[in-house]
Amino acid sequence: MVDLKTKYLGLELKNPIIVGSSGLTGNFESIERLAANGAAAVVIKSLFEEEIRMEYRHSLSKGLADQDSNLDFLDYFDYELKHDMLTRCSALIRDVKSRLGIKVIASINCSSAGEWFSYAAKLEEAGADAIELNIYRLETDVNMSAASISERYLNIVKKVLDHVSIPVAVKLPPYMTDTAYMAGQLAALGVKGLVLFNRFYNPDIDLESNRIVSGQVYSNPSDYAWPLRWISVLSGKVDVDLAASNGIHNAETAIKMIVAGADAVQLVSAIYKNGAGYLLDILTGIEKWMKARDFKDLEAVRSYGRSLKPADPGQFERVQFMKYFGDYSI
Amino acid sequence: MANINSDRTEYLKQERSAPWREELRKSKKNKERTDIHRVEMPSAPPMERARSYVEVNMGLTVEEAVVEASRCIDCPDPTCVQGCPVGVNIPKFIKNIERGEFLEAAKTLKDTNTLPAVCGRVCPQEKQCESNCFYKIKMNREPVAIGYLERFAADYEQNSGNISVPEVAPSNGRKVAVIGSGPAGLAFAGDMAKLGYEVHILEALHEIGGVLKYGIPEFRLPNKVVDVEIENLRKMGVKFETNFIVGKTATIDDLREEGFEGFFVASGAGLPRFMNIPGENLVGILSSNEYLTRVNLMGASRSGMDTPVVKGKRVVVVGGGNTAMDSVRTALRLGAEKATIVYRRSLEEMPARVEEVKHAMEEGVEFLTLCNPVEYIGNENGRVKQVRLQKMELGEPDADGRRSPVVVEGSEFLIDADTVVVSIGVSPNPLIPQSLPNLKVTRWKTLDVDPDTLQTSIPDIFAGGDIVRGGATVILAMGDGRKAAASMHEYLQNKQ
Amino acid sequence: MNKIVGKKIFSENVVGLDIEAPRIAKARKAGHFVIVRVDEKGERIPLTISSADSVKGTITLVIQKVGVSSRKLTSLEPGDTVLDIVGPLGQATHVENFGTVLACGGGVGVAPLLPIVEAMKKAGNKVISVIAARNKELLILEDQIREYSDEVIVLTDDGSYGRKGLITEGMEEVIAREKIDHAVIIGPGIMMKFASMVTKKHNIPSIASLNTIMVDGTGMCGACRVTVGGRTRFVCVDGPEFDAAEVDFDEMLMRLNGYKAEELKAAEEYSCKVANK
Repeated sequence: MVDLKTKYLGLELKNPIIVGSSGLTGNFESIERLAANGAAAVVIKSLFEEEIRMEYRHSLSKGLADQDSNLDFLDYFDYELKHDMLTRCSALIRDVKSRLGIKVIASINCSSAGEWFSYAAKLEEAGADAIELNIYRLETDVNMSAASISERYLNIVKKVLDHVSIPVAVKLPPYMTDTAYMAGQLAALGVKGLVLFNRFYNPDIDLESNRIVSGQVYSNPSDYAWPLRWISVLSGKVDVDLAASNGIHNAETAIKMIVAGADAVQLVSAIYKNGAGYLLDILTGIEKWMKARDFKDLEAVRSYGRSLKPADPGQFERVQFMKYFGDYSI
Repeated sequence: MANINSDRTEYLKQERSAPWREELRKSKKNKERTDIHRVEMPSAPPMERARSYVEVNMGLTVEEAVVEASRCIDCPDPTCVQGCPVGVNIPKFIKNIERGEFLEAAKTLKDTNTLPAVCGRVCPQEKQCESNCFYKIKMNREPVAIGYLERFAADYEQNSGNISVPEVAPSNGRKVAVIGSGPAGLAFAGDMAKLGYEVHILEALHEIGGVLKYGIPEFRLPNKVVDVEIENLRKMGVKFETNFIVGKTATIDDLREEGFEGFFVASGAGLPRFMNIPGENLVGILSSNEYLTRVNLMGASRSGMDTPVVKGKRVVVVGGGNTAMDSVRTALRLGAEKATIVYRRSLEEMPARVEEVKHAMEEGVEFLTLCNPVEYIGNENGRVKQVRLQKMELGEPDADGRRSPVVVEGSEFLIDADTVVVSIGVSPNPLIPQSLPNLKVTRWKTLDVDPDTLQTSIPDIFAGGDIVRGGATVILAMGDGRKAAASMHEYLQNKQ
Repeated sequence: MNKIVGKKIFSENVVGLDIEAPRIAKARKAGHFVIVRVDEKGERIPLTISSADSVKGTITLVIQKVGVSSRKLTSLEPGDTVLDIVGPLGQATHVENFGTVLACGGGVGVAPLLPIVEAMKKAGNKVISVIAARNKELLILEDQIREYSDEVIVLTDDGSYGRKGLITEGMEEVIAREKIDHAVIIGPGIMMKFASMVTKKHNIPSIASLNTIMVDGTGMCGACRVTVGGRTRFVCVDGPEFDAAEVDFDEMLMRLNGYKAEELKAAEEYSCKVANK
């Protein structure tokens, strides 16, 4: 029998499959299905600053149309929204912790420090096993340098770390100038895990209806290449746990991530597309492969992975490049 | 149900063609009228009044009132009336002032407005009648000071002792109950009493008047002014019972058994909102409701009264509405060395009346706009000592051109504060909805009513005022009270 | 205007008043309280309804002299009136047949405990009451509690009556020999904090009836806010009873001391005034 146990953020997980923060993890019934189908942990649907801000603006414009009614309340309505969101989230965490035997990672998606650090503390109080911070904001200011942007992230993370005692993971955006540097800095601050990578909402232009719309929502299977590369580069280099996210749509890809050095993998789109039962398929797939290769546990898989890698990861990159061109030599 | 204003057009025309009105119009050329500049309301000197409870706006003299009234040109189509939520016959009352018939002016007001002394003081006329004045829309000049004139007429009547009591129809033997004695409840009661109903106002607190008593400070609306209006209702036969909480002391079912056939829920938006940020439960941090109730209702600032109130040296008030202005100015009167408003957006966007902001500035209130608290820091006794603020800036405008506040990263700073008053709005008090699970409630936790009749999901229960609108104005509440009275009357007549 | 029709002196500092309030007497259930204002200058203060007679239309309040308001109230005699009383406020106690109920009352907290003990007994529970006070003077309603309890343990800090010891010791003793299904804890803030720690330790579901500063008592001002299970609740409309394991007692105690200085000063001044009359 193979042992799928892994340790992520100091938490004992019965297998490396985590369902990522999404609509799938926003209510008890759905989480119950995921747990029944083998998920070792879930990242609860985020407390989402952007969402609150949008709803706040929407309510403000609707409410202010009715002159003079409730102006003071609408002015600060976002606090109401935050409070409601936090209450619902805390209740969900409590429910899941008391009734299902899986680990719960609470998630906060914000781009400013504000009082979000206090929300992290409240989520800990509600019983979350860990916190995942998603603090990315697309900076379009032409005067803002990479260093100052990174500085901002570090400050937010620092504040949260000061206010919670449970492990904190940070979900990174895929295209930073200084991914390796940030990984190092976050590890030094005391972050226990990095999730590589966040998936963006992308806008698209609808030429028929003449407006900007939401682009494709689900990840593509080929999206896995980028997180695979970075898991591979950072694994062993930085003293943090690594979770792979984006484009993991089958057992094979999940295995590749672990081979590359991941401690856990996060799935979202694959479950949306194929249903909760797909989790069992993936777990079975991993088990089968491990059995066939005679790997008794995940550490053996990672060890195998380390043996594949050349000493210099830079070389790993160059080798790929050259090989690709090599196949098409003139 | 007919619109208050469409019926009015005929009536207004009729009134306008009365001989005395024609004569008055002829007595002065329009050019003479429009040449006059708008009167300035004398106000008590700022630095003195900031340490006392004297009413800030001192009221117009007879001469000032008559001159100001003569500015009104008695338009054939008075647009000012359209701006009034209760459709007061504005030209008529103003022209009565011009010809010296001040008591008549008061009577005219009371035809539609049960509490003219209150409205003349607290209505945001600049957004209502005055913003629709001919001077404003056609000449882009200062409108006729309708608010000041309303107050003048109402005060004159109060002080004369000759207070007119509206005519009351003979009793029709039917009982209705009003839950809450604030402006909505009082306006409803007045109209129902006129129609011959036996009206019982059931008030939870020990004083009548609701927000007029506990919310609006003495220096804006003296309690004795409110009491005179209430006395009028007593004279009309309205019954008042204090210390009565419907849903607790007795249920609606109990009251139905006692013979009440209709209920008007006007229990207001008396539920304080907090931001739920760290440190908000430290000693010395209060909701504006608590702060103002202690001072206005319980007299905590007066010697000899038992109720204490936190008297800080450095008071911070969070919020930008009229309640925030009331709180910060109350802080000065309680002896604060420094009283500060912290508001997340800019001065232009503050919901408070421009006049209140102006008065606050005159009195020395500090304004920290585009600032928002993030956490409160306490001393070893659990008392607040500092507030951590972060700076805000206005973000991109949305489709309506409105700009929301956006945090300026890394802009946090500390200020000293030993008292903080959180004034970020109110929500409807939950006692009534809690006791009536079948009562439909909106997502804002306000009561869901038919917009035309103000009837709730329970047929014999109507509602109006802040419990339907969230924290809104006195005049809108009164308008609701009047509208609900007309609807309930129709409902009860059909129910025979 | 509510007339006082009866007065009972329990001790130098604790007085019981029977007051006419027919509607309140009729609507009242165990756990409810009222807000009282003695006169025009008075404060609004919360007081638990100890018992009520819906036939006579009276309610009984048991008051301990602490500050000015309670002193004013306790100095009244039958025939005098109280200016304002409003109620019944708060959520009624949840009463059911739990099995065995441990009722813990500290000092004047025994007064609000009494109606709950009565209700629990009448619901079929086995009721074990542990009541305690600093000294014999402050111990009240022992006989009344006995009437509705299967067993009563009485403790005083100084041993001037009953057993010498703290309420927590009495609780521990009972818990060691009985299976307790539900506990009710009422008393001064600090007593409730430590008593709750005992029941929490033993995983006994328990409720505490909180006593915070109040102004209106109808949910309007937030003066009575407490943090329960990480959320802000208002004692006057959501309480006064809450899950004892979830209450942030430290915060509650800190907030209770908010007006301590003013209260002491005012009480002194009042006593001087009364003495000099």
